Amino acid sequence: MSELAIDIRGVTKRYAEHVAVRELSLQVPRGSVYGLLGPNGAGKTSTIRMILDIIAPDEGTISLFGKKHTDAGVLDRVGYLPEERGLYKKMKVREVLKFLAELKGVGGADAETRIATWMERMSLKSDEKDWGDSKVDELSRGMQQKVQFIGTLLHDPDLVILDEPFSGLDPINAQALKDTVVGLKARGKTVIFSTHIMDNAEKLCDAICIISRGQKILDGAVSDVKAAHAGRTVAVAFDGAPSAAVDAVLRDQSLVASLDDQNRFLELELAEGAVSGTLLQRLVDAGASLQRFERVQPSLHRIFLEKVGATGVEAGMSGHG
Amino acid sequence: MGKLITIIRREYLERVRTKWFVIATLLGPVMFLVLTALPVYLAAGSKASAQSANITIIDATGADLGPRVVLALADTSGVKPSVQITAPDATAAAESTATRAVLQNEREGYLVLDSRTMLGFKARYVGKNSSTVREMSRLGRAIDKAVLGLRLERAGLDATRIDSLMRVDVQLDKTQLSEKGRERTGTGNSVVGLLVAFLLYTVLIIYGQTVLRSVIEEKATRVAEVVISSVRPEILLAGKIIGIGGVAITQFGVWILGSFWVGANVVPMVIKNRSLGMSPAAADSLTRSSDLFTSLPSMSPALVIAPLLFFVLGYVFYACLYAAVGSTVNSESEAQQASTPVVMLLVLSAVFLQPVALAPQSTIAVVMSMLPMSAPIVMPMRLSLAAVPAWQVAGSLTGLFLACLLAIWFSARIYRVGLLMYGKRPTVRELFKWLRYS
Repeated sequence: MSELAIDIRGVTKRYAEHVAVRELSLQVPRGSVYGLLGPNGAGKTSTIRMILDIIAPDEGTISLFGKKHTDAGVLDRVGYLPEERGLYKKMKVREVLKFLAELKGVGGADAETRIATWMERMSLKSDEKDWGDSKVDELSRGMQQKVQFIGTLLHDPDLVILDEPFSGLDPINAQALKDTVVGLKARGKTVIFSTHIMDNAEKLCDAICIISRGQKILDGAVSDVKAAHAGRTVAVAFDGAPSAAVDAVLRDQSLVASLDDQNRFLELELAEGAVSGTLLQRLVDAGASLQRFERVQPSLHRIFLEKVGATGVEAGMSGHG
Repeated sequence: MGKLITIIRREYLERVRTKWFVIATLLGPVMFLVLTALPVYLAAGSKASAQSANITIIDATGADLGPRVVLALADTSGVKPSVQITAPDATAAAESTATRAVLQNEREGYLVLDSRTMLGFKARYVGKNSSTVREMSRLGRAIDKAVLGLRLERAGLDATRIDSLMRVDVQLDKTQLSEKGRERTGTGNSVVGLLVAFLLYTVLIIYGQTVLRSVIEEKATRVAEVVISSVRPEILLAGKIIGIGGVAITQFGVWILGSFWVGANVVPMVIKNRSLGMSPAAADSLTRSSDLFTSLPSMSPALVIAPLLFFVLGYVFYACLYAAVGSTVNSESEAQQASTPVVMLLVLSAVFLQPVALAPQSTIAVVMSMLPMSAPIVMPMRLSLAAVPAWQVAGSLTGLFLACLLAIWFSARIYRVGLLMYGKRPTVRELFKWLRYS
C-alpha cells in the first residue's frame, strides 16, 4: 500500500500553441486535504484532467494509490467535480444519480440505498417533498449543485477531486461543502481541490501546491510554507493619516520591499536584509503615532501574490478573493 | 463493458420513454397508411369523376363517330358528353359556340372529330383540362375504340359481336428474372423500392441529428466531463451511437410490423367494402393498386435483411460524422451550419432517388449504389427493383464497411478533443491537428 494518494512525476502537457503543464511533480499524501493553487490559466484544470485520464500527458507518469492511473478500476475510486458543472436537464434526479453511480461500478439496490441516504442528508428528500422524481431542470441552482456533489461522492471514493468547488456556491452550500470535505478527511479520504480563493485554501488545506504558467512555484504543508515566509511581514496601523515624514520611511526601498494597504492596516514586506526593529525605530523617529506594529505570519494570499507575482500574472487575473 | 451497457441503456431509455417517441412511433403506421392508401382511394375515386366527361363533341365525320365515342367513354364514366353533329364546313361556327360554352364554365372542353379522325390519325381537343394526362389518354383510348368499332362494322361484323370482341383488358403479370430464379413482383414494387429508400433516408437524417443533438447537449451542459472522468470518450461515443441506433431500430421495427399488419388485415377489408357496388373493372384495378400491401409480406428475406444491413452500416457512418460535428460546436445554432457537409451527402443521395428508381441498372444507379455515402439508401432500393449482381452488393457492403471504420476512427479522435474545447469553432486545419493528438 502506497502512502501517496497521488504521485505525479515529471508530467508535461503540450498543446499546439503552448505548454499547459511543464515537468510538474507533486505528491499528495493519503488522508490529506490538498490545495492546488494558481491563477487562471496556470494549468490546474489540465493537471486535474490528466490525473483523471481525461487527457493524456505527453511526458511523465501519474500513479494513484501506487497504481498506474489508467489501470482498470483505479479511477472508480476517484470522485470528480468539474469546474463547469452540469447534469442531464431532462432526466429525473434519481435516474441521473443512478447513472453516475453505475458509471463508477455501483449499481442496483446498493445505489438506491446510497442515493436515498445522501438525498436526505442534503435535504433533497423529506416527508413532504421528494425531489428525486423531479427533472433536473425543475431544481433551483443550489439544489442542482447539491445533486452534483452527491453524484461525485455516491460511490464513496477514496480520492475526491474538486475543480474550483467554491465558485458559484451560495454561503450555505459553501459551508456544506466545507463540512463535507472535513467529514471526508475524518474518514481517511483524500481530497484535492483547485482554487484561486486563498482564504478557503488556508482554512481547509493540510498542504498546498502553487502553480503558475504550468510550473510548480512551491509546495508543502501549509504550516511549513507559512513558516518559511514568516518574519518578513509586518502589520502597521496609525492613528490618523501618516505624515509626509512617515510616508518617506514607508517608501524607503532599503527597508520595505512591498506595501499592501488593507484599509484598516498596512501589510509590509521587509526588504532583503532589513530588520523589523530598524523599521520601528525609523517610524518612531519620524513622529508616527503607532496604533499597531506587529510581526505577522503572512497569509497564503500574500505568499501567493509574492510568488506568482514574481513569475508574472496576467493582468487582472491575480488570485484575489 | 458494464459501463458501455450503462451508457447504452441511458441513451435508449431516455428516448424511448418520451411522449414524442411514443407519438411518432404510433403515428408512423398511420402516416404510412395515409401515404399509401390515399392513392388507392383516389385511384378508385377518380373513375367517377364527372368533370372530365362534361364536354361537347363536334362530329363532322358524317359517320356518327360522335355517339360511339360517347359510348366508349360511358364505359367508365357516369356523365355523358353532348354530341353536336355538323357538316364539315360548319365546324368553325360550331367551335366558336363550344368555345363560349367552355369560357362560361358550362363545359370542360370540346372535341372535334372530322374526316382525318376517320382516317385514323387526328382529332382535336380544346379545353381547360387539356394538360391532364390521365383524362387525355382516356379520351384518346375512347376515340381509338370508336374508330376501330366503326371500321369493323363497315367490314361487315355484327355490332353486338364487335362490342363483346372489343372488351379486352389484359393484365400484365410481371416476373423478375434473376440468378436466384423467378420472383413474382407486384405492381407496387417500384413504390416499395422508393418507400424503402425514403424511409431509410428519413431515419438516417432523423437519427443522425439525434446523435448530433445528444453530443451537443452533453457538451453544452458540461455533463460530458463528468461522464468521461468515469469512462473513456470512445465508450461514451460508442454507447451513444448504439443506444440511439437501438431507438431507431425499435421505431423501424414497429413501423414495419405495423404496416405488415395493416397490409394483411385492414387494407383487404377496406378494399372489400369499397368494391361493393363497383363495376368489376374498377374493383379489379383497385385490388391491383393494393398489390403493394399484399406483396409486402411475401418479400424475400433478402429484401428485408439487405435494407437492415445497409441501414445499420449507413447509420453508423452518418452517426459518426454527426457526432464529430457535434463535438466541434458549442450550440445547436452553430451545428446547423457545421453539419451542412454531412447533410449534403445525404441530400445528394436523395436527389438521385427518382432517376435510379426509373432506371435501376443505369450507370448512375450503379455508381450511386456503390458510393459509401449513398449506398445505404440507393442499394436497398435497387435490390427491390431489379436483380443486382452479387459482386455489386458485396462491393457496396465492403466499401460501406470500410467507410464506417474510417468514420469511427475519424470521429473518435475529433470527439475526444472537441468535447473539452469551448469557444471558437475549429478550422479545418485545426481539425487535422486534432486527428494527430494521441
